[in-house]
Amino acid sequence: MNKSWLPLVLVAGAVAVVAGAGLARAQAIYNPPPGQNLQGVWLIQADHSAIRTLEGKLPPMTAAAAARYAAALRSRRAGKPVFDTIQSCKPHGFPRILFAAYPIEVLQEPKQVTFLHEIHHMPRMVYLDMTLPKLDDMDPNWMGLSVGHWDGDTLVAETQGFNDLTTLDAAGLPHSTEMRVSERIRKLDADTLEDVITIADPKTFTKSWSTRVTFRRQPGRRLKEYVCTDSNPEAQGLPAG
Amino acid sequence: MRCTLSRNLLALGLLGAAASVAAQSDVVDGPLIRSAVSSSDSRDLSGVWYIRLYNRQINSTLGRLPPFTAHGKAAWDARVKAEKDGSPIADASSYCWPHGVPRVMNSPYPIQIIQTAAETVIVHEVAHNVRHIYMDQPHPQSIVPSFMGDSAGHWEGDTLVVDTIGLNDRTWIDEVGVIHGKQLHVIERIRKIEDGHALENLIRIEDPEFFSEPWYARITYAWRPDLRLTEYICEENNRNMPTNGHTAEK
Repeated sequence: MNKSWLPLVLVAGAVAVVAGAGLARAQAIYNPPPGQNLQGVWLIQADHSAIRTLEGKLPPMTAAAAARYAAALRSRRAGKPVFDTIQSCKPHGFPRILFAAYPIEVLQEPKQVTFLHEIHHMPRMVYLDMTLPKLDDMDPNWMGLSVGHWDGDTLVAETQGFNDLTTLDAAGLPHSTEMRVSERIRKLDADTLEDVITIADPKTFTKSWSTRVTFRRQPGRRLKEYVCTDSNPEAQGLPAG
Repeated sequence: MRCTLSRNLLALGLLGAAASVAAQSDVVDGPLIRSAVSSSDSRDLSGVWYIRLYNRQINSTLGRLPPFTAHGKAAWDARVKAEKDGSPIADASSYCWPHGVPRVMNSPYPIQIIQTAAETVIVHEVAHNVRHIYMDQPHPQSIVPSFMGDSAGHWEGDTLVVDTIGLNDRTWIDEVGVIHGKQLHVIERIRKIEDGHALENLIRIEDPEFFSEPWYARITYAWRPDLRLTEYICEENNRNMPTNGHTAEK
């Protein structure tokens, strides 16, 4: 080799090694801007088994919805809450799962915010790179379809496409397949997460209304394995007791 | 249960197409879009992947049955016979339980990998299984056996190495009759192959109760940015609910 080339070859080699090492070590870990960083494990702070509006009132139900709600309350009091899907390990549905007293882990990517609920090991994806299809084009399901965008440091999520098998809370507040859930999710401080939830469902409510829930950060906590069907004879078709 | 229409709609949104729903089905279930590859970052495994060459009898690298102990062989024979007799022995999925590791990695449904600094999460469409793989941390001192076990991950070069222990003995390894006990120890080596078009999982399976020596299974998954996971609720309408431990057609 011509000696005059040697320094160039050495430099090129060193660059290649550094670049190669860089590629090998590089890991695509997304770091959200600090204000938008909602990642971590969170736990609901108060009992929301019978949700109320921001004003502390019962949501404004239509007459038919009020009758369903009253029937649900009666069946709960009688000890046979047949309306309650989780009695047979079916999903809570959304947004009821938000009110469960179990931790929620939030994971963030540029195009998706993922909520992992410990209860029923249920995931919910909020897609940041799409818009909601028309309701008529959607197949109803338990958790709906969620899309979102950032408004400053607030995650704004819109969810629709629900079946009408679930209730909004454990008490039995009903909803229809036309429900649309809007959320504004943000950190109030480093360890407190707030979700202001607005429900629009003209078949159930005379006007849209909002409620609010806060979550506390759970440092170092890992989600446990929650398997409803492992302990629920009704869900397994096995004799109870 | 799961619905393909939702997936089509999701793909519709992803592709930004204004075409009708009916026209979308070809896009979603058609050939892989080869122009789309996973990122050039070899440690970026994030996104949706879909098993290739799915085989309900997990693909052992031996090309034959695993090296059973007498106990493991008897369990296999009993399950194969029960299925032939039309009364299959029920596995965890029949009860809507989590599928377990490595079984959940061998399922004909999409998976989505999400990576943070501390954790690699795999969300499985099938039965909303979720795997939490905690990075660069040892297993906890005491582990209560569970369906999905305890998974600890670290990088060796561009390979994600996942060590899983603490599994209960109620899941199977495949869907035919390879089962395991509580001593099961699974080590997965997961890496991108084929310039990011695919993911390889080389799975080392060790359980002295059921196998005379450790053996390997190899599964690959296609990069599928055209898919989003849809809702799969086993608990909604389980027509395979076992009776006396056997799956009965209902």
